[in-house]
Amino acid sequence: MAERPRTYTAEGVILRRRNIGEADSIFTVYSDREGKFDAVARGVRKTRSKMRGHLEPLMRSRFLIAKGRTLDVFAQAETVHHYRVVREDLDRAATALYCAELVDRFTVERAPQEGLYSLLLGVLDALEDGCGIAVARYFEVQLLALTGYDLALEACALCGSPLPAEETLLSPSAGGLVCRLCRPRAEGGRLLSLRAVKVLRYARRETLDAFAAVAVSPELDGELRTGLALMLRHTLERDLSATRFVEDVRRLPAAHPPPSPGGSVE
Amino acid sequence: MAEGAGTPEPIARLIEAFHRLPGIGPKSAQRLAYHILRVSPQEAEALATAIRDVKERIRFCSVCLNITDADPCAYCTDARRDGSVICVVEQALDIMAVERAGGFRGRYHVLHGVLNPIDGVGPEDLHIKELLVRLGDGEVREVIMATNPSLEGEATAMYIHRLVGPLGVRVTRLARGLPSGADLEYTDDLTLSRAFEGRQEL
Ligand SMILES: [Zn+2]
Ligand SMILES: [Zn+2]
Repeated sequence: MAERPRTYTAEGVILRRRNIGEADSIFTVYSDREGKFDAVARGVRKTRSKMRGHLEPLMRSRFLIAKGRTLDVFAQAETVHHYRVVREDLDRAATALYCAELVDRFTVERAPQEGLYSLLLGVLDALEDGCGIAVARYFEVQLLALTGYDLALEACALCGSPLPAEETLLSPSAGGLVCRLCRPRAEGGRLLSLRAVKVLRYARRETLDAFAAVAVSPELDGELRTGLALMLRHTLERDLSATRFVEDVRRLPAAHPPPSPGGSVE
Repeated sequence: MAEGAGTPEPIARLIEAFHRLPGIGPKSAQRLAYHILRVSPQEAEALATAIRDVKERIRFCSVCLNITDADPCAYCTDARRDGSVICVVEQALDIMAVERAGGFRGRYHVLHGVLNPIDGVGPEDLHIKELLVRLGDGEVREVIMATNPSLEGEATAMYIHRLVGPLGVRVTRLARGLPSGADLEYTDDLTLSRAFEGRQEL
């Protein structure tokens, strides 16, 4: 090999894994300083690999990375937080993976988005600390704001007139809420109850802690979820793969005794 | 791959075929192809026949989805094996690992993959329906989830646990702890904390 490879350190959350060859995996990481990047971990699927267990999707880890010609290579990895509660609860894991896919889809390589890393960590921490999966709605609203697709929620997205306290249309093509008069021009969307409109505004204005303290019923969450899903699909011009999984999990029978680690989960 | 214009077409084709195999880089593909060129016609024919037979004679067991040349497979027809316990694995190769370890005398079920939500691999892409059919007759008392302790393997185990729960079948998970030969210093916190919970009397 020619010259000595340069190395750098990074801390980030692992968004996804792709296995290649016999024992290697490529991990997509979102990190504070580097933004999104791919790197390969050689031999990580072997039992004896020192990095195995430190490199798993939905882990927050610190890395030492060697610059490669085509792909960077993990030289060391150490877990900062393994989000065990999240990974051992199917609803939480599905929601966290959904958020991870959103980060992946809304970013380009090596272009860090101000505030996105702490948003991702905030939502993972909240899920780990027992918050309901409705925190994903907070994540969606804030993600859109951070990436330049801020929703118009305080005034009509089309004419700017104030919005009365009533059922209001959330329109993807308009980029937010639309008044009654502008509805014909809004090209579809989802009609949101006043309560849902208020939760959206709250998600946009407040901190994650404040949002997490609000009880969002499954019905209300469903209303917001479908409305925001339209916005996200319009923005990304594609469906998210993890959405289907979140739906699959939602349709499962309720978790009766949660699976206990290491032993019987009868 | 840059095969020179001088490389005869059949060799170039063989190199290309080897190169598509997992873990085979361009250099290894070349070495393998030139090796085949040097072996006896009988040896080359045996390799070709073995490959053809695998494709023609090997199929999935209609019960457990193991790869087999007889349907149902040997594990499913062996009367000495315990039909009340099913060990669920990600891939057929995992059966060999469990068999090598010894000690398990029940039957198997091969999912042929794990859930991978971001890559779009969902429950309907795995052989879960066939597992539910097997649980329908009331003979099975326990399902052992032997998927890998990865995020994807765990999610698959939890998914099946939730799905099977209402059927009243006991669902267990392989213990997750330190692999033998592991070095505590390099062991990740998750594995270590699980190993502590799964500790046993000496
Ligand atoms: Zn208007
Ligand atoms: Zn079989």
